[in-house]
Amino acid sequence: MASTGIGAPKSQHVGRIFLRAAVTLLMVASLNFILFRIIPGDPAALLLGGARTSVTAEQMEAQRQNWGLDRPLFPDQVVDYLSASLHGDFGYSFKFRGRHVSDLILERLPATVALVGLAQFIAILCGVMLGLYAGWRRGGAVDHIVTGASLALYSTPSFWLGMLLVVIFSTALGWLPGYGAYSPGAISGSLDWLIDYLRHLALPVTAVTLGLIGQYVVVARAAMSDVVTEDYMVTARAKGLNRGQMLMRHAFRNAMLPVVTLITLNLGYVVAGAITVEAVFAWPGIGGLTVEALNARDYPVLQGIFLLLGASIVVANLVTDLAYGILDPRVRQ
Amino acid sequence: MGFLRKFLGYGGAQLGLLCLVFFLGLAAVPNAVVGPLETAGTASGDFLAPPQSQHLLGTDEVGRDVLNLVVHGARISLTIALLATVISLVVGTTIGMTAGYYGGRVDVWLMRLTDFFFVMPSFVLALVITPVFLQVMGRGGEILGFRPSLFVIIVVIGMTSWAFGTRIVRSQTLSLKERTFVDRARVAGSSNFSIMIRHILPNLVPQIAANGALVVAGAIYVETSLSFLGLGDPLQPSWGTLLSLAQRAGAASAGAWWYLGAPGLCVIAVSLSFVLIGNALDDTFNPRHRVIP
Repeated sequence: MASTGIGAPKSQHVGRIFLRAAVTLLMVASLNFILFRIIPGDPAALLLGGARTSVTAEQMEAQRQNWGLDRPLFPDQVVDYLSASLHGDFGYSFKFRGRHVSDLILERLPATVALVGLAQFIAILCGVMLGLYAGWRRGGAVDHIVTGASLALYSTPSFWLGMLLVVIFSTALGWLPGYGAYSPGAISGSLDWLIDYLRHLALPVTAVTLGLIGQYVVVARAAMSDVVTEDYMVTARAKGLNRGQMLMRHAFRNAMLPVVTLITLNLGYVVAGAITVEAVFAWPGIGGLTVEALNARDYPVLQGIFLLLGASIVVANLVTDLAYGILDPRVRQ
Repeated sequence: MGFLRKFLGYGGAQLGLLCLVFFLGLAAVPNAVVGPLETAGTASGDFLAPPQSQHLLGTDEVGRDVLNLVVHGARISLTIALLATVISLVVGTTIGMTAGYYGGRVDVWLMRLTDFFFVMPSFVLALVITPVFLQVMGRGGEILGFRPSLFVIIVVIGMTSWAFGTRIVRSQTLSLKERTFVDRARVAGSSNFSIMIRHILPNLVPQIAANGALVVAGAIYVETSLSFLGLGDPLQPSWGTLLSLAQRAGAASAGAWWYLGAPGLCVIAVSLSFVLIGNALDDTFNPRHRVIP
């Protein structure tokens, strides 16, 4: 459509999306800073291990100067914090003495990416296909079964599914391992090692996938049900298109819009699912690190994880907003 | 009345209400059903014993009756979820109505705040806010009959889960404030506050109720997940805390399906009830969802 002067041109629209993402990220970082300062006690004392270590008053004061804690909270310390965060410096862990938070997080990241990536992929693929089919054949036997099961799964915490899978497939049947990511003695890089890794991955991925799939089914089904009652579907039929052509040319693309939105709305469930499921299976990812940090009150690690989650969510929203503009021409106008 | 009959006509609404009444009954009088909450000191059974005649749902790792724990858990889980929802709805409705009614600069700033909470999931925010406030308040004592950790969880879930409702309320308010009854009230000399409370709010009730049911389901999910990660309170165990204890006791690898099965099924039943009720309310009030014959 030619520009009519109504609404913003595309570049401005894209610019606004990026600006919004940057503001959200800034708010995440600021919340991180404020929260850490609400904790009672001197941050220097917390960092040095409190009363448990014998630190003299002079050493404490020297460290306070060294860390810039003697300077005003705003703007000096806030600016320092934000610029350090921007450079990937999240400070040192309380629990793992002398280790950089960013190193701890990077170490654990691949395991979580493997778990969440695979689970999201399977959940979206299977969930959307099942949901679209159920919506297309609304009221049929498949629709009733799929919708009922999806609502039940939607209400089920992923980690509970994980515990159930351990009871059934690990404890009772002994088919798959229910703990950790590797068997002891496995040689990294070999084919046996890969098979062993995948066997360990099977149950956690199943748990996270089942925890997510319900929502994709429900939304894809609702979207398709809405689409099939639209006027353009009547027009398509009047033009003489058969059901397959109607599905592919008109229904599918329009029904995908709410699904794309859901992928970002769903991120809370994805994060909650992944972290709690990792705790069930002692999976060596970010979720395991979160539980360790929570138990040890390791605030720098918790802050780092929050910033990582916040940044991932902001980026996911950014991608969705941009993808939405491509999928739905109305948004561009 | 027509709406009520229509709502009750949905099979999902009937099932959800029935299930909810059952659990609310348990939550109201847990002592009358299973006696006082058992502790490690008053535990009466063997360790991790499977279901049997004295312990219908078996026992946990210190010999406590799982049925006793689950019934008391209903009181704690439901109270947390419902109170968090009340906070969420009050905050969400206030912000959404104010933004929609006044418009302009107020609207822009309030919606910018809402956008942040809309983008950041309640669970992620609660994960980092809860431990900090637990540290600030300490774990001892009670606040309004709650252990501090439960109180913190209620407030944190309530304060982080209102954004979705705010958007719904705002968009409804935008259309309501253009209606003639608002103009008439203004001409009659009503203040802005009185117009919002007496004329706009009553018309928002259907949307708030349908959204509220889904907020409860979300609150149960977040509470269960947080408690599972150890942020609950063992002295007032919710269903999530029971699952956390079961995990720590190695119930899954010991094959103690009753210990983790009972609290899990309760979470699913209550959460599903609220989802079914919410969907039925949405179908009742939302003209777009009316089935075209």
